Amino acid sequence: MKIDTDKKIVLIGLDGVPYNMIEEFSQDGTMPNMAKLISDGVFRKSESTIPEISSVAWSSTITGKNPGEHGIFGFTDLHKNSYQLKFPNFNDLKEEPFWQQWDCESVIINVPSTYPSHEINGVHISGFVSIDINKSVSPSSLIPTLMDMDYRLDVDSSKAHESMDLFLEDLDKTLSARIDCYRYLWANRSWQFFMLVFTGTDRLMHFLYEAYEDKNHKYHDKFLEHFRKIDSVIGEISERISDKDTLLLMSDHGFERLDYDVYLNRLLIDENLLSFTAGANPSLENISNDTIAFVMDPGRVYINYSDKYPRGYVDRGDKDKIISKLKTLFSKLKISNKNVIRDIYTKDEIFFGKYIDDAPDLTLVANEGFNLKAMMKTPGLYSKGIFTGKHTQDTAFLLAKGISSDAIGEKPKVSDVRSILESTIK
Amino acid sequence: MSRSLDHLDKLENQSIFIIREAYSQFRNIALLWSIGKDSTTLMWLVRKAFFGKIPFPILHIDTTYKFKEIYDFRDKYAKEWGLNLIVARNEDAVANGMGPDKSKFECCNQLKTIALKQAIAREKFKALLLGIRRDEHGIRAKERVFSPRDEDFEWDYKDQPPELWDQYKTKATEEEHLRVHPLLGWIEVDIWDYVKRENIPIPELYFAKNGKRFRSIGCECCCGPVESDADTIDKIVQELKTTQISERSGRAQDKEDDYMMQKLRSLGYM
Repeated sequence: MKIDTDKKIVLIGLDGVPYNMIEEFSQDGTMPNMAKLISDGVFRKSESTIPEISSVAWSSTITGKNPGEHGIFGFTDLHKNSYQLKFPNFNDLKEEPFWQQWDCESVIINVPSTYPSHEINGVHISGFVSIDINKSVSPSSLIPTLMDMDYRLDVDSSKAHESMDLFLEDLDKTLSARIDCYRYLWANRSWQFFMLVFTGTDRLMHFLYEAYEDKNHKYHDKFLEHFRKIDSVIGEISERISDKDTLLLMSDHGFERLDYDVYLNRLLIDENLLSFTAGANPSLENISNDTIAFVMDPGRVYINYSDKYPRGYVDRGDKDKIISKLKTLFSKLKISNKNVIRDIYTKDEIFFGKYIDDAPDLTLVANEGFNLKAMMKTPGLYSKGIFTGKHTQDTAFLLAKGISSDAIGEKPKVSDVRSILESTIK
Repeated sequence: MSRSLDHLDKLENQSIFIIREAYSQFRNIALLWSIGKDSTTLMWLVRKAFFGKIPFPILHIDTTYKFKEIYDFRDKYAKEWGLNLIVARNEDAVANGMGPDKSKFECCNQLKTIALKQAIAREKFKALLLGIRRDEHGIRAKERVFSPRDEDFEWDYKDQPPELWDQYKTKATEEEHLRVHPLLGWIEVDIWDYVKRENIPIPELYFAKNGKRFRSIGCECCCGPVESDADTIDKIVQELKTTQISERSGRAQDKEDDYMMQKLRSLGYM
């Protein structure tokens, strides 16, 4: 595909920002530039992937594919024929991102799950979970320039567990450096596709969603300040493009208040569907050989099939029976008189593609306020910890300028972003 | 294509200058010796700096999981070189059976980081000499020769003193200890060239046996050998010039996975 030489495409990601928050901030004056774009463009609520986490959602965004096609089902996975954890990265993505197939120079900054960075026609700086700067920047000749900007791959979220002030300071420095980086590459490369993702929004909402909701909260202003700063960059970018160009803003999933973390493996343990070898720590690697099923984050349920795992137990012939048993168990789960689980999907219902065998047997989506977790050592079935916000599947947003509303549709999905952008190329 | 002697002489002079500077500023310092090739090279330079008699202790953090060759090597040369060797362990964690089977990250944290913290607090060291090199790992790319740490070992690289024109900032505030990195400017192949030139003894684990050798050594449970037939220093140098595999590859994936796990955990994604 070839973009007309006098046209530019710009894609801005605001990780985790929900539709309702954009709507509110554009009306109350927090994000005036966003408000202007909304009045000039097309603004839609959009749907994340299932599960609604950044690794899967961004992988689907940049490939336009189903997880069953691109092979990324979470931040974690298991090695083949094993219970050993692995961390899928950009090298495990089985489909090419669209920028590789567009015949143009691209600048890609901070897209989650694109570590380690790959050589491209242009610049690629990988996003969460990037570890080593030497493996995060392509071309590597850019590293000294980024170091001079005090570029940070990500905010150090562990700080929030010790001091919210330190965390917020780091969050702001990370955002400033990201902005410096965007300005530098915008001006110094002859790109036609520019993609920039702000991930501090997601970090902020995990720890301080309550500060957004509570106007008297100590950090309410800090919360707004972060969004104001991003809005000013959005204003700057809108000024810098022409009417021929395309600008698309999006989030990969939404956010809402977190009431309870719910530990699904705990439920399986209590129901004698999951157990561990005698005396060993409760962990995936120590699963006993009569385990029926286990959960991986956030709500991915795997049946312990005898032909799939080293200590597998369940015969494929019993699949329907087990699935119906698990569905009943999860759908009945109540906390504070509320149903925890909103939807339960079997793999055939939501996944398709070459890698569907690696997909979870059941994928759960939670009701409002419930955050699904796979932790094995837990204080009980549920608890409330440091996090005050959680992801949502159906309240992401998409905002476009220079694209027809027909091309976008009424309820777009993150995996439609590719075809929406390509509709402007022809 | 061998590097000239001038190059090694320059590195040696620089390192010795830093070592002497650190000692004259702080007095109460120690050399952190992992028994690997880098910290053993540093030991060699420290011995040169003080004409064979090191005026401060040598600290070895013993996780109890090191290779047998490492312990043998340590004891042999501690005696031969007349070292004031302090072996530090986190005895509580060892007694409680901490090991890599629990969690690799927790094991490193308990048996290395906390053991080191305890030793620094106990001995009241103001500065530590370490054999790290800038080319070792990407997360070390911003390290400085004199690198201040607070009592929680937090390292704020942005708040580092500038190091212009060799004006190393060497003052540490009360609660800090300073990490001093005399080998920061050396690269892996410099170390090998120097080991060869000076005939510095290093553990046998670095040399190929049955088609494998270790490029980086530490705890037996967490180090993997690389495929190699390099059984002499010359062959090792030759190998380094052609290989695409990184030095810490035997350990890197584990380490990287640990970092990933920590990052995911801090956001509640695990």
